[in-house]
Amino acid sequence: CGFSPVYGPGGQAEGLRGLIRTDPPADAQGYTLVRRIEERLGRPENPAFGLSASVLTEQAALAVTPDQETTRYQLRGTMIWSLTRIADGASAASGTLHRATAYSAPVFSADRGSIAGNTVSVLTAEQDARRRLMVILADDLVSHLLATAPDWQR
Amino acid sequence: ALLSQGAEIAFGGLSQDTGLPVEVGADKLEIDQADGAATFTGNVEISQGEMVLTAGRARVIYGADGAITEMQASEGVTLVNGGEAAEAAEAVYSIEAGTVVMTGDVILTQGSNALSSQRLVIDLARGTGTLEGRVRTIFQPGAQ
Amino acid sequence: QVAAPASLLADAVRLRADTALVAEGNVEVLYRGTRLRAARIVYDRAGDRLLIDGPITIEDGENSLILADAAELDDNLRNGILTGARLVLDQQLQLAASRIDRIDGRYTQLSNSVASSCEICAGNPTPTWEIRARRVIHDQLERQLYFDSATFRLLGVPIFYAPRLRLPDPTLDRARGFLLPRLRTTSQLGTGVKLPYFVPFGETADLTLTPYLSSGTRTLELRYRQAFATGALQLDGALSNDDQPSEDPRYYLFADGSFALARGFTLNLDVEQVSDSAYLLDYGYSERDRLQTELELVRARRKDSFRAALTDFRTLRDAEIPIADQLPDLYGVIGYERRVDVGRGELRFGLDAATLNRASDAPGAGRDVDRAAVAAEYLRAIPLRWGMLGQARAGFTASSYTTRDDPRFAPTTAQLTPHVVAELRWPLARAGTDGVRHLLEPVVQLAYSRTSGNTVPNEDSVLVEFDSGNLFSRSRFPGIDRIETGARANLGLGYTRTDPEGWTLGLTVGRVLRAEADPRFLPGTGLDARLSDWLTETRLDIGPGFSLSNRALIDDGLGITRNEARLTLDNGRASLDTTYVWLEASALENRPNDVQEVAFDGSWRFGESWTGIFDGRYDLASEQAARAGLGLEYRSQCLSVDFSLSRRFTSSTNVSPSTDFGLQLSLAGFGPNTNGTAGRRGCSG
Repeated sequence: CGFSPVYGPGGQAEGLRGLIRTDPPADAQGYTLVRRIEERLGRPENPAFGLSASVLTEQAALAVTPDQETTRYQLRGTMIWSLTRIADGASAASGTLHRATAYSAPVFSADRGSIAGNTVSVLTAEQDARRRLMVILADDLVSHLLATAPDWQR
Repeated sequence: ALLSQGAEIAFGGLSQDTGLPVEVGADKLEIDQADGAATFTGNVEISQGEMVLTAGRARVIYGADGAITEMQASEGVTLVNGGEAAEAAEAVYSIEAGTVVMTGDVILTQGSNALSSQRLVIDLARGTGTLEGRVRTIFQPGAQ
Repeated sequence: QVAAPASLLADAVRLRADTALVAEGNVEVLYRGTRLRAARIVYDRAGDRLLIDGPITIEDGENSLILADAAELDDNLRNGILTGARLVLDQQLQLAASRIDRIDGRYTQLSNSVASSCEICAGNPTPTWEIRARRVIHDQLERQLYFDSATFRLLGVPIFYAPRLRLPDPTLDRARGFLLPRLRTTSQLGTGVKLPYFVPFGETADLTLTPYLSSGTRTLELRYRQAFATGALQLDGALSNDDQPSEDPRYYLFADGSFALARGFTLNLDVEQVSDSAYLLDYGYSERDRLQTELELVRARRKDSFRAALTDFRTLRDAEIPIADQLPDLYGVIGYERRVDVGRGELRFGLDAATLNRASDAPGAGRDVDRAAVAAEYLRAIPLRWGMLGQARAGFTASSYTTRDDPRFAPTTAQLTPHVVAELRWPLARAGTDGVRHLLEPVVQLAYSRTSGNTVPNEDSVLVEFDSGNLFSRSRFPGIDRIETGARANLGLGYTRTDPEGWTLGLTVGRVLRAEADPRFLPGTGLDARLSDWLTETRLDIGPGFSLSNRALIDDGLGITRNEARLTLDNGRASLDTTYVWLEASALENRPNDVQEVAFDGSWRFGESWTGIFDGRYDLASEQAARAGLGLEYRSQCLSVDFSLSRRFTSSTNVSPSTDFGLQLSLAGFGPNTNGTAGRRGCSG
């Protein structure tokens, strides 16, 4: 059906693992992003390409109750990335990705069945959402790079 | 087209009486038999009253009555008159017209002011001078 | 001090008998950075004066330009009179005057002057706004403009008169003084005006004090900013006496600081304090319903990440205020992870310690917990035949807890959870016609883990989400107090289509098959059944201006557990950002009934300078608008006006519905230009 393995013999991304070196991270979310990219594209052994990616995040309040309580947050991330050939510094590919994930911030009520919504459970839910967003952005970037490998790997 | 309007300069502040006797000194003198003109070469110095004109070479033309009608100086001409001095590549002093026309990298200095252009016409009768071509003037503004 | 020479260029220069020098034709005078151009200049050297015939332009550096018909200046161009003149500052602010006097090369005095930064065209001579004054003095050194008996006219109509008025010139960006007033009308506090006063402290700090007076309140707002060599700090706060139920004085203080320390560490400070729970909403300072005051030390490098933080919480939610002592108020964490290359794989190890304190000591409800955990994992990628990519991981997490005030848990408890994971990816690609690229990536992951030890309190792993960010993660619980166990298979299929035309489609489908259901995943998470809900995600991006994304959890009966969609549009003229969220009722998340809500905010530019802004939030479940806002912005080259109207329908014991109307006017040309290039165009027609 026309599909062929990208890492297979003669595949469009054969030998690509280890060829891309990602810039070091500047903050905790950057650490998660770089760790996931290196997990997916391999540890940079003899890199031929440099990848720089910066992520800006913002939060939007959703599911606001009549009492003005925000019970759902959407964490939106915008990643601007660019891949350059280390040999001559030429830009091989670049792009922007907008992705989002979400977490709940329930109202902590007296007659509750569980302690859901306490301040720590919401804080850790936010931190986990941030980690998941970095994994989503990294995986989307890797899919894009694998899909368009013939265009930039010349 | 470049404006060729005159720029009058009071030259030396005093007019020059073109009737005064003219003395010419030089290293060498040749007489041109055909038109009776004399060519002085080498440290030529022509003086008339206060005004002194020096040049590398000067060709003096005499009128029928033997009086000088025109002098054509070249090879680096300087003209000094009272407080002003002017330099140029060439100069033509026409006694009859009472004018000195200096051309080629003309620099006129008056005290601390210096004016430069390509052509300077001095009217000795009215004591004025006119510079033409892109005229650059460096002047010292008044006391601070 | 010897005066620097001035140079004069002209097409022709005449020296008259009276030693005056007459220059004509493209005359230019250059003297110490001032350039004067004119048609004719007579330089009377005896009087050291220049008599100049126009059109005259005098450029003093690139910020000040004088145009005049005729002038008489001294020969160092510092003093003198110009007639029929215009002063243009920073190519923006124009001051026309019948006569301009230059004094010592520093002051420019304009008589009977009209000042405006609006385009004055022959077609419409009256500028949008102008200031007419009997006299204006521009101090080039202090960069200030002093107006005497000034009248401000809007569209030709005199609005207000000021005997003396001082305004900064366009190049001065940190001038002490009043900024333009802002109008604010709200249903609670009535109609009021804010008059900000800006005080700079050198180059690195400034303070803005804004009295806000209305029929309902006397408030002083403050904003203090300071930049340091290695960081910056900003304080925002306000103090109020008003007629609202909460007792005076009411106040709030937000501080935000960040400082770079040695060896790559950063110290972040975030303070959020308020006097009563409705203050921030009543005054529109913030919509946060929970406050966090936090001190944090962080460092992130390629191979390791460190974070230590102490956080103090405060809730502003009505339902939570009576039981606030049962909410954790103090939370301290230290977290460190390091990655080391070992052979062909990578060893990850880390520690995570946390301490959590509640004010209440009631048994159970007032629980305090201290927890320390270490985790280690070795993972290795294994390329296989036919382009398959394997990955094996093995590791463990060990944690110990000290629990107080909760009889359900022994004072000290501990757990050990080893895990092993095997993953297989098989990315396949196909080249479509004219540059279209397809990528299909099936992924199978088998995982097994088992927890041994005591049951431990759960504080950080209560709220579970299931999306493509954790479809293949080792544990879908957000924290460490719960770790996913049992045998399970995570299956996923990803499809990506890229098109050189600039649009990209992405689809992801996933499901978790478990040996047996994990009761700790509660209904509403989509992970409670033995076979999880179907996770479907779609993403469609067309160029930079269009992005549609959706995530849904669908159970076998095609019931939707969770559905969130977002559409963003931006084509330069119009922009729209819409989100839709549908959440099934869930006891876990104290959500008694389904939530269905759409929220949108957008803007639409019509005409050259008008922009409409709208935003809203509509609760579809209860058929009720929660919030609606309208705004109108007028941006022209010389004036920007912002109208804003918003209505909040929410109502509760402490928070009442309110309507908020704001008007803000700012003139370009005084202080830095905030209008950018909006509306900068020549006279049309």
